[in-house]
Amino acid sequence: MIASADRVAPPSTAARPSVTFVPPDESGVARIVIDRPDDRVNALDVRVLEDLAAAIAAARVASPRGLVVASAKPTQFVAGADLDMLRGGSQADAEGASRAMQRVLDDLAALPFTTVAAINGPAIGGGLEIALACDVRIMADAPNARVGLTETRLGLLPAAGGTQRLPRLIGLPRALDMILTGRQLAPRRALQAGVVDEVVHPAVLLRAATDHALRDRKRRAPGGRSLAERAATWLAPARAFALRRARAQTLAETRGLYPAPLKALDAVATGLTKGMPSGLEAEARAFGELATGETARNLIALAMLTLRQRKAALAGLGAPRAIANVGVVGLGFMGSGIAQAAAAGGLRVRARDRDAAAVAKGLSTIRQLTTDAARKGVFDRRDAARIVGRVSGGDDLTGFANADLVIEAVFEELGTKRRVIEELERVVRTDTVIASNTSALPIGEIARGARAPERIVGMHFFSPVHKMPLLEIVRPAGADPDAVATAVAAANALGKTPIVVNDGPGFYTTRVLSTMIGEAFVMLGEGVSMEAIDRAMTTFGWPVGPLQLVDEVGLEVAGHAGETVARARGIAGPSIVNALVAEGFKGKHRGGGFYRYEGKRRTPNPRVAELLKAAPGPVTEDLAERLTLVFVNEATRCLEEEILRSPGEGDLGAVLGLGFPPYLGGPFRYADALRQTIVTSLERLAAAHGERLAPTEALRSRRPFFGL
Amino acid sequence: MPRALILGGARTPFVKAGTAFAELDVLDLARAATAEALARTELDPGQVDEVIFGNVARPVAYHNLAREVVLSLSMPAGIPAFTVGLACASACVAITSAADHIVTGNADVVLAGGSESLTNVPLTLTPRLARALIAASQAKSLPAKAQSLAEVRLSDIAPVAPGIRETSTGLTMGESAERMAAMNGIARRDQDAWALGSHQRAAAGWDDGRLSAEVGPVYLDGHAVTDDNHIRRDSTLEKLGTLRPVFDREHGTITAGNASPLTDGAAAVVLASEARARTLGREPLASIRSYAYAAVDPADQLLIAPAYAIPIALRRAGLTLDDIDLFEMHEAFAAQVLSTLVVLEQNGVGRIPREKLNVMGGSIALGHPFGATGARVVLTLANEMKRRGARYGLASVCAAGGNGAAIVLERAA
Repeated sequence: MIASADRVAPPSTAARPSVTFVPPDESGVARIVIDRPDDRVNALDVRVLEDLAAAIAAARVASPRGLVVASAKPTQFVAGADLDMLRGGSQADAEGASRAMQRVLDDLAALPFTTVAAINGPAIGGGLEIALACDVRIMADAPNARVGLTETRLGLLPAAGGTQRLPRLIGLPRALDMILTGRQLAPRRALQAGVVDEVVHPAVLLRAATDHALRDRKRRAPGGRSLAERAATWLAPARAFALRRARAQTLAETRGLYPAPLKALDAVATGLTKGMPSGLEAEARAFGELATGETARNLIALAMLTLRQRKAALAGLGAPRAIANVGVVGLGFMGSGIAQAAAAGGLRVRARDRDAAAVAKGLSTIRQLTTDAARKGVFDRRDAARIVGRVSGGDDLTGFANADLVIEAVFEELGTKRRVIEELERVVRTDTVIASNTSALPIGEIARGARAPERIVGMHFFSPVHKMPLLEIVRPAGADPDAVATAVAAANALGKTPIVVNDGPGFYTTRVLSTMIGEAFVMLGEGVSMEAIDRAMTTFGWPVGPLQLVDEVGLEVAGHAGETVARARGIAGPSIVNALVAEGFKGKHRGGGFYRYEGKRRTPNPRVAELLKAAPGPVTEDLAERLTLVFVNEATRCLEEEILRSPGEGDLGAVLGLGFPPYLGGPFRYADALRQTIVTSLERLAAAHGERLAPTEALRSRRPFFGL
Repeated sequence: MPRALILGGARTPFVKAGTAFAELDVLDLARAATAEALARTELDPGQVDEVIFGNVARPVAYHNLAREVVLSLSMPAGIPAFTVGLACASACVAITSAADHIVTGNADVVLAGGSESLTNVPLTLTPRLARALIAASQAKSLPAKAQSLAEVRLSDIAPVAPGIRETSTGLTMGESAERMAAMNGIARRDQDAWALGSHQRAAAGWDDGRLSAEVGPVYLDGHAVTDDNHIRRDSTLEKLGTLRPVFDREHGTITAGNASPLTDGAAAVVLASEARARTLGREPLASIRSYAYAAVDPADQLLIAPAYAIPIALRRAGLTLDDIDLFEMHEAFAAQVLSTLVVLEQNGVGRIPREKLNVMGGSIALGHPFGATGARVVLTLANEMKRRGARYGLASVCAAGGNGAAIVLERAA
């Protein structure tokens, strides 16, 4: 009844607090209810914090038998801090914000009666820190419920006591794993790890929390489940060993480029060695430093871009059509991955390959991918069975008349793709969107000759599909805006971040990548060793070096993409790749490539130097700088030529699809930060190596890519 | 009067029990047939109002197999589903129930089928062991639990295979068929000739693509099963003649060669109202014109009931046997088929010409997954009627307990 009155005359939002104290009911249990007004999700901001402090004070005065901390958002606990809070503040501001959060949660932890967090959905970052400040945590077995301290992924660290309370609760080893990787745990895993005390059906959550508030006593944090975990937490020598190992591993993984995990490690160590007050002090100071640093700013910007892209990608497009049934043509590794992602996204899939044996192989890959994901806790076993149940297949296009979207993932050859499109046009509905999965073939070329070319778009998936978060949607000239929007909606349904680019050789991602790899081939010709090139790039923060990447992708595919891009740009093609392919070097698992592979050992293929006839020379320049700047330069050219719609999509594509070092925020953010240096360097490189390296007008103009 | 139309359907390959589908259970097979039937009728599962499945040897885990089909295929959870049983005519019941629901306006699209895994037959415990285990689980103390189990004998430990004997007569199927052969004077040689014809016609049906057209492959881990595996292309009357009678070794006529084998498989058809078929723009295979079930005393001729169901179904359709262009009769035993033909003639219903009957062979060659056979004969009949442009077709299935089913199909357009 109250709710309906609310709807008639909504109370002014200024009047409604973000956090409410509900006095004890007849059982004696009081509640603190978090409900940020005017937002679908609860995120920690200044008001939530102030209101939480007031509610905790009210609770202390009311002195109930027990207290439940809950969220009023359906299936949402507290999803973390509001990142807008950090914008534009000074180091002292950030440090102060951390101390303020620590104080409020210290007050919560110090309440003299049993406190229980009722986690009904994601409890991430600050959300989990609130729950950690309670005595007991009960978690709903909801599909989206997760706990995690994900701050290091944003270049920050848990700053509301999380670096202190989590190791004390679940022990040093597990806590470090959660804090340093930012791993999120689903209910069952959270229970196993000891983060939560019980997992219950969502409908029972509040009753269970109330029962615990009445029944449980306040207790000391155990510091882990097993004896070994407790030893690593409380015993100095064991602890020192665990910390040393974690530090070495973190250094190896971050290559010293990401400061946050190391700072988090320090704060954890300080707290366990010198006591919680020192630990909190270290945590707040580190937060101040990190929050104002370049890395966190770039990582946060990327996270915000990613978050907004679901909707932003649809801007300027038509209306997406509803998608329930997807057809997939070609069940190779790529097609199987696409089909699996679609099924995992709740879509029904009918797949086709050339014969029953190929279909059987593809279906078994889909089953395998799904089981593996279930084993990793991505979804539970029953969901896995349902996902597999959504896929069926055959050796003809039976069942495709029903498809809302068909994605073809057949061999990358124009004739083959055109034949498939022609076949599809005979059976699909007139409003079915046909998407071609290709890394380089222009969609306009593929669609030429089609009966209705306007419904044909590109969906460039990245391999392996189940791991790669990006989907490049290619919009050929004359494409139906609704068809493009439908492809974007499909990307969202598949859990991929879509970027929308215009058609052209190599689109955006393949074009910048091939251009950079092409420059690496030039370097080889200049006598630089392939190991020096690859090592320089990984040290700079790329996941793999360009030559190693060519081996991974396969030399034929990479060569074909390079050829397409080079021809369009009027630069030298990847002749070395063709020469290697001609000698049977086709990639890592296909006879080797630039490297030879024997078991786990990787050694340079001597044929490369022989084929290039290049005399090995000393390295006289910064290899990673040259290659990365070629990449950045080409990215800005894609913006100039309107292949890209926006610098934001350029950054997302580069980081999520190509492994551009995330700490730099992407090629455009990097260019904004170091504009003058980059232009000067490119001019120097152009003078030394040729005009292809000259900076673009977009770079020289000095207009920032991102407004403030 | 509104009609129920058969839009299409599919079946899995039928394979001998214990062979290609040994790893699959009845649900796996049912899912495969259902997914293929949906794909072939180009239907979004959201358009299905109801799912009905027939099954005989029911695993305890699936209280309602049809519902598990819906859920495991991630069809919309709001689709009600139920499982029916009329022994070997179970899928006939699924289909005629579907037709009834459509004709009465209670559903527009119904998926009806049947599934059987005779490899993975549920085994049960001896009654004494079962009683003891339940008593033990209810006993409060350990000694009481031990007490409950004390009466169990060593022989009780062995599980019991499901009944293949008629409860009321104590005779096995084969023994009952032997009795029918004797009563109707069906010679061993005629039975073998029938069986040979069944294999030859089935082989021809596969070779010219008519049978393969109704079969969708089943994809196992990494390989596909595409073909029925019981059809004997090298069979001859001589070879069949050398087989020893199984059920009556002294005077019998029934051998492994002239009886249907234990088989794993599933089949499903999609039925729809005329209005919905029009909206969906689907061209139906056939419509259900009429049907009838009949039953006889199992102590008499156990598998003869179709001979009584057929004239009733014909009367309900306003037709005579001569009006029917094509017949599909389930072949449990060659002796049963030949007996049915004899009795139909004796009773004045008429004579079914061999060239119109089981034109692509029958269960003796193709196999007989109990719960699925009813759907298989209807699907085969509907497909062949469409190909031939036949006006009327009749499918019949005999079943344990003395039951029989007959369904009359009519050209839809």
